Amino acid sequence: MERRIAIKQVLIFAGGMALLPSFLKAAGKASVQLNNLDVGIEQEKLLSQIAEIIIPKTTTPGATELGLHLFVLKMVDDCYDANARQKFMSGLKSFEGLDDAALKQMVSDTNYGKSSISEDAKAFYRIMKQQIINGYMNSKYVMTNLVKWELVPARYNGYFPVKA
Amino acid sequence: MSNLNIDHIKNNTFDAIVIGSGISGGWAAKEFTGKGLKTLVLERGRDVKHIIDYPTTNKFPYEFEHRGEPVLSIKKENPIAARCYAFKEDSMHFFVKDKEHPYIQEKPFDWIRGYQVGGKSLLWARQTQRWSDFDFEGPMRDDFAVDWPIRYKDIAPWYSYVEKFAGISGNKDGLNELPDGEFLPAYPLNAVEDYFKKSMITKYGNRHVISARGAHISKGSQTFYDQGRAQCQNRRLCQRGCPFGGYFSSNASTLPWAQKTGKMTLKPFSVVESVIYDDKLGKATGVRVIDTNTKEVTEYYAKVIFVNAAAINTNLILLNSKSSRFPNGLGNDSEVLGKYVAFHNYSARISAEYDGLKQFTTDGRNPVGGGYIPRFRNLMKQETDFKRGYAAGFSAYRSTDNDTSGIGEELKTQLQSKKLGPWRVGSHMMGETIPKESNFVALDTQRKDDWGIPLLKISIDYDENDAKMKKDYIEQLTEMFTEAGFKNIRPNRASQAPGLDIHEMGGARMGNDARTSILNKWNQIHACKNVFVTDGACMTSTSTQNPSLSYMAFTARAVDYAVNAMKRGEL
Repeated sequence: MERRIAIKQVLIFAGGMALLPSFLKAAGKASVQLNNLDVGIEQEKLLSQIAEIIIPKTTTPGATELGLHLFVLKMVDDCYDANARQKFMSGLKSFEGLDDAALKQMVSDTNYGKSSISEDAKAFYRIMKQQIINGYMNSKYVMTNLVKWELVPARYNGYFPVKA
Repeated sequence: MSNLNIDHIKNNTFDAIVIGSGISGGWAAKEFTGKGLKTLVLERGRDVKHIIDYPTTNKFPYEFEHRGEPVLSIKKENPIAARCYAFKEDSMHFFVKDKEHPYIQEKPFDWIRGYQVGGKSLLWARQTQRWSDFDFEGPMRDDFAVDWPIRYKDIAPWYSYVEKFAGISGNKDGLNELPDGEFLPAYPLNAVEDYFKKSMITKYGNRHVISARGAHISKGSQTFYDQGRAQCQNRRLCQRGCPFGGYFSSNASTLPWAQKTGKMTLKPFSVVESVIYDDKLGKATGVRVIDTNTKEVTEYYAKVIFVNAAAINTNLILLNSKSSRFPNGLGNDSEVLGKYVAFHNYSARISAEYDGLKQFTTDGRNPVGGGYIPRFRNLMKQETDFKRGYAAGFSAYRSTDNDTSGIGEELKTQLQSKKLGPWRVGSHMMGETIPKESNFVALDTQRKDDWGIPLLKISIDYDENDAKMKKDYIEQLTEMFTEAGFKNIRPNRASQAPGLDIHEMGGARMGNDARTSILNKWNQIHACKNVFVTDGACMTSTSTQNPSLSYMAFTARAVDYAVNAMKRGEL
């Protein structure tokens, strides 16, 4: 019974995205089912680190806790064309093999468009950041706690006063 | 054997057959069953039961795997359907997939279809405006198409009739060009829409910006509770199907109403191959139906047949209904069947910003979208070098600052405390196009679909008049936006293929003269009096109004006429 609940929880992690239970997962592969991308466990870990730098855990959850790096993988895998997928994967390489401080610096430099950053890294980062934000703003946590989205507003006011 | 045959005929015989269950077919079903007729409703797609078959209706955005975005492989497989603004992860199950139902585009035409019970009434944009005599008299005044066989006074009571049941929100604006109806309270214009309205009246006197009129229950009442429908909850998730029945659809309204009478038989997965015409009797006797799953062919019989398959498919059925009396399609003595197809020109948009009224924003959602600008061009008289004119949507919303430049805590702060930016405004044109013989649909002589029915060839395009009108729309709206003090005015001339407006009309047009039209003033085929067409195929011209409300009114009026004619023994 408990195992079933645990699996169920794993399966609904990050909102409807199916995570592969470990016994179904090929060794060394990513934890989401991917049809196009070939992502290893190390790359997944790196994506998670980059995601956490972009949206860190503070008093509220960060990217890793919300599974945003996996959401990015899912989106790139399913919604981007081969060219964009290739750019994403090759750009990711620019972030490999750095220690924590260097990675943080690299993400920051890319974010603020330092001239030393390669086109590959920029192309990767554009997709990464856009989808991290998309996943964050459309996450259950943000939509129910921070920037609330209503399923049933039941009202419309065209002259709603703005608080000074 | 003969007994079996007699039983078969008896079991398959109804008082009325309605082909199609969309916005007009649903009305035909309701009206026929309401008058006590045993009615067969045929739908080529699957059943979609109100609420039960709206799988996404109560989902939050994060419950969609791709947060609403259709995946690339689906978009690539469905380039036509995917161009529709409503084709998203939450609604794509209500759209016909391109490969399953091919057609031949002699010229680019995005044919957007919904093959299911309820048809496109689940997906429509719910805008509902009456026609006026400025519209019905258009072809005669401006010398195109043929004269409409009816005038506003003929249809006005039927507009009232359908509006009361469907639930139409709007203001009584007192405009001759856009007659008032039986309205529920209007959704109000917001601060900037209202400002634009006032500034246009001051500047022009005759350019009106009104609250969009829409098929939403803005105030609940017994009429709607009796249908199982409640007040619209401002969700604006209409394309998923509404669990409240807040907007009008066949699924929420007319079909369950017809079902309750016990007189309706609804058959999904039943594509009509043709209407059966009996040369000896000189009338139609029934329809030939193919089960879309088993491909079994069955005939059904009735005294009266309503063809409501949606404009282009109604043309297909009539063209494919060949007999020795009608070798070129049912009722096609005039040879105009399939021709004079027209649509609405949606090929231009314009957007801008407004810096004022920053003390206001909006709260909640407006289900009808905002404002509507009725046609002002060439209205009272010809004043430009193109025929007819355009209506336009107009809406405003308060933008939020989209600064996402930071990372880390800074980015989190930017995302959580978005500052309000300027108001953004936008408009799109809805132009009348002129029906022409050269804009047509026809049966392909070789290729057939999976059910052995000829594929349709579609050959429809814009013309010089459309180009001039588009240019004028951009010029006029630019001037109007400038006049209102809007900034950063950005016209968008990016065209789109005809069809994507989803307002295709004509092909079996109404007219007084059987030599130049297919239907008479009662939507009855001139030469086959027990077959009626009351969907978009019947339209003689398109005017600028969203057409669905007129289809509802035509249908209720035609059923009333047909039932009376049956009582008189005429059919």
